[in-house]
Formats: sequence, structure tokens, C-alpha cells
Amino acid sequence: MISLPHYLTVGAVLFVLGLIGFLTRRNLIVMFLSAELMLQGVALNFVAFSRAHGNLHGQVFALFIIAVAACEAGIALAMFLMLYRKKRSLDISLWQALRDPGLEETRDLVPLPAEPKEEPLPVLSVSGIEPARKERDHA
Amino acid sequence: MLLADSSNDLNWTVLLPVVAGGLAVWYMLPSTKRRPMVFGALVGLIALAGLAAFLVSGFGDTIPQTVEAGLFFGFSGLAVAFATLMITGRNPARSALSFAIVVLSTCGLFLLLAAPFLMAATIVIYAGAIIVTFLFVIMLSQQEGPSSADLRSREPDLAVVAGFVLLASLLVGLERVYDWRNVDSAIVHAQRVADAESVDRDYLSPLPPMENMGSPIPLTKKAEEFLGEMRTALNRVKVAAPRTAEDRRLTDHRLVQEIENAITGLKISAFKHHDVEAIQTNCETIAKGLTRLRNLRNGSATFEDVVRSEHGEVKPIGNGPKQLPAANVSAIGRTLFSDHLLAIELAGTLLLVATVGAIAISRRERKAS
Repeated sequence: MISLPHYLTVGAVLFVLGLIGFLTRRNLIVMFLSAELMLQGVALNFVAFSRAHGNLHGQVFALFIIAVAACEAGIALAMFLMLYRKKRSLDISLWQALRDPGLEETRDLVPLPAEPKEEPLPVLSVSGIEPARKERDHA
Repeated sequence: MLLADSSNDLNWTVLLPVVAGGLAVWYMLPSTKRRPMVFGALVGLIALAGLAAFLVSGFGDTIPQTVEAGLFFGFSGLAVAFATLMITGRNPARSALSFAIVVLSTCGLFLLLAAPFLMAATIVIYAGAIIVTFLFVIMLSQQEGPSSADLRSREPDLAVVAGFVLLASLLVGLERVYDWRNVDSAIVHAQRVADAESVDRDYLSPLPPMENMGSPIPLTKKAEEFLGEMRTALNRVKVAAPRTAEDRRLTDHRLVQEIENAITGLKISAFKHHDVEAIQTNCETIAKGLTRLRNLRNGSATFEDVVRSEHGEVKPIGNGPKQLPAANVSAIGRTLFSDHLLAIELAGTLLLVATVGAIAISRRERKAS
């Protein structure tokens, strides 16, 4: 039977993936999506416990999670737009002046590899008789 | 101690999905080296298969081949796979769309868990509103393709190790708390000894020769193993030692005490003196007590009798644990507006404050000229 621990396992996996995404990614929006992924894992736990205990309090908690996540999204997107207006980029490391005192500045020492050259699209050579143009096309 | 059994320590069912998943995520995270995606996808599939194996065999219950099991594995596989794609994608717009699929799969899991209102609310709010707003912000801010920040990641080694060590400990914890297999086998074993017509010779200590009658009689190997198994099972089902004298009268501690007395009785006299009747009574006590305690622990107890607990006497409330009905939308409304009225007013206020805050933050400052 699919029971409580199965859902808890899936919730744990989603939470950990969100945690890793939040720690590693440098795009503000992807970091925020990772935080939302962690919230999804927690909400899944709440609903699974609600089912296992036979009452609705877990589902009510999950509803509050959604409400708080919606507030968070509104505020965070407004802040992202402001940050983007200041620096013209969503890179979080442009704001590392806000880091703890005593920490070293992170610099990108390894250069990015060159983009692979795209194959130019094939161009067909003109063949056949060129149709005569009307006078007003040139005018 | 709750986690006193050592039979299920870190084993391959936990190690395979954790190690393979960690490798796959580490490999697929953006880095300055260009890595071919085939290897990452392959290891990721192995990790998914390992996770499925853990879910099938980790908790000791058999998974029936029902529609529910198929839907559960489908939705959770989709959710985990697209969550991985979301945190490893170079393109934020694709990450947002993968997150939409994760949300939809989680909604499927909500439906399996008898939460139809929550499913609809999540689809409307998350997949409908939040992700679309994210896509708008992405399109407003990143019109020139992936930036250098999306092609690098910060400390991928440490983050992956930390995350997957956390996952391994969570999985081992879940396995230890929800796996009742060794208690079940102990109950079966004790019941078999109790029901047998005569006790197997291997359990009974051989009588010493006449001349040294007074010397202590050792237990046989089989009897030692039996008692060890019973002790492990008892440690698994008992939660805490009684703290006060009053505690000893609670149903829980009384049962534990009875089982401990039975085990001691078997150890001290019954196995040594070939007392078949005492062996059978004690084994019966152990099997009954362990069954009752296991059912109290995993929530399937039927409370047909009055139980003394720390909060007073618990009267029987009917047969078995309540099942949450699937059609519970009106019940959730009643719960929200009766039990959680203050919380829902606070949530409404929070939404209002957030709206005002978002407007105040994103307002363009007028240049003072």
C-alpha cells in the first residue's frame, strides 16, 4: 500500500533538490524558484500527514504555505525589478557588497568556454530568369 | 530508544539513489567546462530507478499493482525529474516551465492524498499566477539570451555533498521509523513458540550431570538468539523510560514492563528448567504485548479498551483510525473558519501588506530636479 513514508520520501527529495538549487545557482529568479521548490516539498509532507491522521489541519497549513508563497512572490518580483534597474543584470554576485564582513570576494577566475560556432544557413544561388520589375518599384 | 535496532543501517537501497543522484546533479549543474549531457541523463535515470527501489522495498509493505501505485510512481517520478532539470537548466525561462511541471505533478500527488481543494488552489495560484509572473519578469529582464551568471554555479561540490548527505540521513531516518519488519518477524517467532505443542530441543539448555547440580546452567545459542530478537523488537516499540512512579501505571509502560518480565522469566528459569508451560505463557505475553505496542505506534490501534495515557484515560472512539474522505472541500471551509479563524485573518492581512509593499518597492522614483 502507498502509505505515509512514501510521500515523505518524495517530499524530502524535492526539498533537497530545492536546497541545492538555492545554494548553487546565481540567477535571482532561479534561486527564488528553488525556494518555492522547497516549499512544495514541505507542503507535500503536510498534506500526507493530514491524510495519515484523518483530519484537515495539515491541508490548512498547506493553504497558508501557498498564501505566504504568493506574498513572497509579489514582494520578491518587485525587488528583482528594482535590482535589475540598478545593475541591468539578475546576477546575485553583483550584490556581494552585502556579504558578511571578513569574507573574501568571489571572482570568476575561469573564463567561460567559447560559444560553439553555429553552422551558417545554406543559401540557394539565384537561378532562372529574373522577372522584369515594373517602373514604379524603382521609384 | 526509538532507533535502537541496528538491522537497517546505511544500506544499498539508500546509498544507490543518494550517490547516483548526487553525481547526476553535480554533473548537470552549469559549469565552465562543457560536459556532454548523456552521462548526466544516464546516471539520473539510475538514481530514479534507485529511488523507486527504495520506495518499493524500503518500508516493508508490499506495493500492490493498483492504479494508485502507478499514479503515485508516475507523478513522483515526473516531479523529481523536472525538479532536477529546473535546478540544472541554463535558461531561466526553461527552469520556470520545469517548475510548472513539478507543481502540476505535486498537484496529482495532492489529489491522491484526498486534497482536491488544495490541488485546484495550487494549480491556479502557483502554475497559473506565480509562474506566469516569473516568466514576465524573465522576459523583461533577459532579452539577450543566457547571461554569464547562468553558465556558472557557486560551490557546486560542497552544495551537492551537503544536500545529499541531508537526503541520506532523512531517508535512513524514515526507514528506521516506518520499517516494522523486525518487530513483525519477532511477533511471528514468539507466537510460533507459544503455539507449538512441545518446545524445540534447541531452545532448552541441556541438563547438567548429577555431580555439579549447583553450577549455573548456560542458555543455548538458539535461546540466546531468540531472547536477543525479542529485546531488539521491544527496544523498537518502546518510546521512553518511565520518569515518575505515576508513569509506571500508564498502559504503555505497563505493557513494556510485562514484556520485560516475560523475557527475564524465559532467561532465568523457563529455558533452563524445561518448563514448557511457562515458556508458552511467556511467549504468548510477548507476542500479544508486542502486537499491541506496534499497533499503538504505527497508528493502526483500534482502541477497543480504555487506555491510560499521560493526558488521562483515553476512551475508545470507534473502529480503527479514521479515513479522510475524498470529498472534503466543505469540511476544509468549516475547519478554516472555525479552528483557524485568527490565522486566516492574519493571512489576509499579510496579503494586503504584501500588495502595498510590492507597489511601494517597484514605484519609480521621480527625479528631483
